[in-house]
Amino acid sequence: MDVLNVDYMLGLVPVLLRYLPLTLQLATVGMVLALILACLFAVVRVLAIPVLNQLTIVFISFFRGTPLLVQLFLFYYGLPQLVSALTVIDGITATIMGLTMHFSAYMAESIRAAIVGVDRSQTEAALSIGMTNGQLMRRIVLPQATRVALPTLMNYFIDMIKATSLAFTLGVTELMGATQKEASGSFLYFEAFIVAAIMYWIVVELLSKLQHYLEIRLNKAYSR
Amino acid sequence: MKTLLTTMLMIISLSASTALLAQDNPLRVGMSGQYFPFTFVEQDELKGFDVDIMNALGKEMGRDIKYETANFSGLFGMLESGRIDTVANQITITEERQKAYIFSDPYVYDGAQVVVKTGNTEIQGVEDLKGKTVAVNLGSNFEALLRELPYADEINIKTYDSNLERDTALGRVDAFVMDRVSASQIIKEKPLPLALAGPTFSQITNAYPFRDTEAGRALRDEVNQALATLRENGTLTSISEKWFGTDITQP
Repeated sequence: MDVLNVDYMLGLVPVLLRYLPLTLQLATVGMVLALILACLFAVVRVLAIPVLNQLTIVFISFFRGTPLLVQLFLFYYGLPQLVSALTVIDGITATIMGLTMHFSAYMAESIRAAIVGVDRSQTEAALSIGMTNGQLMRRIVLPQATRVALPTLMNYFIDMIKATSLAFTLGVTELMGATQKEASGSFLYFEAFIVAAIMYWIVVELLSKLQHYLEIRLNKAYSR
Repeated sequence: MKTLLTTMLMIISLSASTALLAQDNPLRVGMSGQYFPFTFVEQDELKGFDVDIMNALGKEMGRDIKYETANFSGLFGMLESGRIDTVANQITITEERQKAYIFSDPYVYDGAQVVVKTGNTEIQGVEDLKGKTVAVNLGSNFEALLRELPYADEINIKTYDSNLERDTALGRVDAFVMDRVSASQIIKEKPLPLALAGPTFSQITNAYPFRDTEAGRALRDEVNQALATLRENGTLTSISEKWFGTDITQP
């Protein structure tokens, strides 16, 4: 007991690796959906489209203002109580819904900040030579905003990967859930959770590498 | 001859229908997968006393068992929202739960047990918990049991989602309360410095909860019938002996 049970840890690696794809799937699907939603929100906010703008503000306020776990419970246990047909929402769907809405609220604000951060004179110049709003966004504003928003968006993605560890509360056995169950079978908590921690860490490290590569690419236009 | 034919026909149709049931109509069973030795996972395999009993019941009823694992605090939500049919996680029959659910016949008889870190002579039973910090599993019946004590106000009750035995061994809490059987099992099999403190208090019976609907009542009757058969033919006893070295399925 006093020494680390390395054999147990090594034996656990292939077992836990089976659950890593689900963790990544939850986070990746959540991230893609959250990005789409966040871009829509950001555009609505920047252009201050009436009614939609107010709705977006309330949405962002709610999903930023309440804990993710509360939202997951609302989707998974709460909604079926109101409408019994909503039992079709399984644990994986509820988790993705929660991650998408929660993180889109945060990401909308950083995308909005990146858009607003593009110098106003460029917008005026683009409009003065006859570009439409769409062209202006696609050709001038978004390429620059992407570069600014990338580091914070990657931050949210990393956060989302770790947030998937809440999914076991909804009966989704992902990496954390598998680890919890293995640990309660062996009582080797330290060993089990350190293996899980290292797996999360490696995934996040790989993502940081990807971020670095993307930043270099997006900075090409600015390097001499 | 005619009766023989009818009997054969009945058997054939019965086995055909049970085979059909087994494919189309699995019993969806929720458990935490974190309650040693009743339900736990080793090398990705779900094991334990509750798994063995449930598998035997499924065989008896001619139904597949589909296990859903989730943290204990989520299990009743899953039952309530119709995602599972019952919970096999040593669910104790209580008045409160009986208001919301119907229960099968009990399949485990047990008592609540105080457990302390080895060498703790201060706590020798439930009456010594005054002024102490005591851990119980979140949503478990032991919290309610402690709160019923006349000196409940003087006990600092801490609820855990998991790992309470670990925190007791580390000295973060003075004791934990769990059922005697699994507490003894933890002490016997696991390398944690823990000891039983005093005798059990409050006898408890554990059973399977079902939703109080027509379908739920039908399932409960089906499970009760299978339970009675397994009790009679000694299956319950032999599964209990395998895990605990003693029969916990009899009062």
